Amino acid sequence: MPLAGSLDIRGLLEDAPTVTLTDRELHVNGVDILQVMYELGFSAVEALVPAALNPTIPPVVGFLVYQAAESEFGPFSLVQVRLTARAGVRPRAYLVSACCDSPAAAEALSGSWGYRIRPAEIRLRRFHDRVDCTVISNRQAILEVGLVDPTPITGHDIQYPPGMHLARIDDEGTTRPRLIQVDSEYEFRRADRGRPGLGTFNPAAWGDDRLIPVEPVSASFASCDVTITNVRYICNPDIPASEGTQNVGSK
Amino acid sequence: MEFGIFMELSVPRPWTAESERQVYANALEQVRLADELGFDYVWAVEHHFLEEYSHCSAPDLFLTACAMQTSRIRVGHGVVACVPQYQSPIRVAERAAVLDILSGGRLEFGTGRSATWTELGGFRANPDETKKTWDEFVRVIPKMWTQERFSWEGRVFSMPERAILPKPIQKPHPPMWVAVTSPGTEIDAADRGLGCLGLTPGGFKESEARVNTYRARIENCEPVGDFVNNKVHTVNFLSCSEDGDHARRSGLKVASMFSYMASQLLSAKEVLPTNSYPSAGLLPALRRESGGPGDAAKSFKGVTMGTPDDVAGAIRQWEAIGYDGINFIAQFMEVVPQQYVLDSMRLFAEEVMPQFKHSSKTQPVSVGVA
Repeated sequence: MPLAGSLDIRGLLEDAPTVTLTDRELHVNGVDILQVMYELGFSAVEALVPAALNPTIPPVVGFLVYQAAESEFGPFSLVQVRLTARAGVRPRAYLVSACCDSPAAAEALSGSWGYRIRPAEIRLRRFHDRVDCTVISNRQAILEVGLVDPTPITGHDIQYPPGMHLARIDDEGTTRPRLIQVDSEYEFRRADRGRPGLGTFNPAAWGDDRLIPVEPVSASFASCDVTITNVRYICNPDIPASEGTQNVGSK
Repeated sequence: MEFGIFMELSVPRPWTAESERQVYANALEQVRLADELGFDYVWAVEHHFLEEYSHCSAPDLFLTACAMQTSRIRVGHGVVACVPQYQSPIRVAERAAVLDILSGGRLEFGTGRSATWTELGGFRANPDETKKTWDEFVRVIPKMWTQERFSWEGRVFSMPERAILPKPIQKPHPPMWVAVTSPGTEIDAADRGLGCLGLTPGGFKESEARVNTYRARIENCEPVGDFVNNKVHTVNFLSCSEDGDHARRSGLKVASMFSYMASQLLSAKEVLPTNSYPSAGLLPALRRESGGPGDAAKSFKGVTMGTPDDVAGAIRQWEAIGYDGINFIAQFMEVVPQQYVLDSMRLFAEEVMPQFKHSSKTQPVSVGVA
């Protein structure tokens, strides 16, 4: 059998978001998305994701940056640190943590979809020869990541697997730990691909100091409309997703 | 119809000092039996770094062992990765020729390009380039085999004039194939006069369309070699027993585990935006088909599992839509006992194989003679 996750989630649950399941969707037009991927070292490959998930070989970290010029919360930026994984046979990305520069957006994303978010200053700058993103928390850069030498591609060549977010589900006054599957739909307007670049990355600041990027993989930049759909699947984090997945919505 | 067995050489954890040796020993026992029973081919994959899924990184060595222990069955490179970071086309031509000699002219030469980031990234190969490098490999390798001396100034590699030795025993050269998973590769195969080595289980309708496309295109091909290998094979799972329920349970163990493990692979397309892989080929197909280990409900139509009559019925369906052969996966991750695999092969050979053995429609033809 493939390697199975063995992440100890007990500590993570203490400050995990509490989610109330609803039919809420979030639609945001004109989102710029930077995705930069790096292979990680193998030393903790099984310990990086919960038991419900299988790590990929090699493990890959994705830095996923959204910058929305307009939304129901006003402008906001969101940066996620995610790990490639499998839920049963399906490609997924386990959310390690995220940063957001809008308290209103952070509250909505956390409460409805289980984004583990803390506030940060986020700068995404697009040039003709590169795209740069900087995340600053407590006056320190905790991530400097980017794309070099963009060249146009079709957006359909880019894959953003659904996220798996560790949260507590509010269930009539009690809470249960669950992985929330976060599905998003993308309507691409333009897309580029380039070389990945990573300046600063402080893994401890993102919640897991075992995340050591070792090998560049890819970088893409896209402009698109994004819909985060209502939550349809949740998953018991302690048992394999093929056994512990529950359908909680429809679309 | 022709029949083969398909070897991934998967090695389940926990790994001991004996694990890999035992998997290789079991596989060789299956090959010896297949040779005795009248199977036409043994195919061995080339994969690198795919933990558990396949520990078959030197298929030419494995196939040499197969050839040394058999007398009739054809030995298939299924398939050689035509990626220069993996190996030079010169070395591919040399090693394949040695295998052809040692097997007494029984080599079938399959070509491909890898689809996982695990492999391509491991060699720091560029997934954008693999179609192009494959094209140059298949263009030059038959020339290396047939020309006394060979020189080349190409895009992927170049060399001054040298004799590439030894030459294959089969003249003009061994039959050539390409692995077909991504949509459209059947067209690549047909246009170059290559056999179509299907690796994706799929529905009859989609499969028939691809076979028809291949047959139509190959009529006007410009073969890369000295003859056209007009054959279409597919892959299937073999589990044959007089107890049909037992056969289906055992076969679905193999199929489900194969699909589950394949789905764990990290495809190049998943982490690198590239149009070189229009779909990830085998992987999304298997994700559609699989519900995970133990999920007996999901198996693709036409699966060759059950009683001899069940298996023969399924094969007739594949034959009817134009396939010339089926290569069987009979074991994966050692999930069924070795004795069951051997018994299943024996029963297949006794009860099913004779019903199809004289209905082969196509044979390799020399260029200009067809």
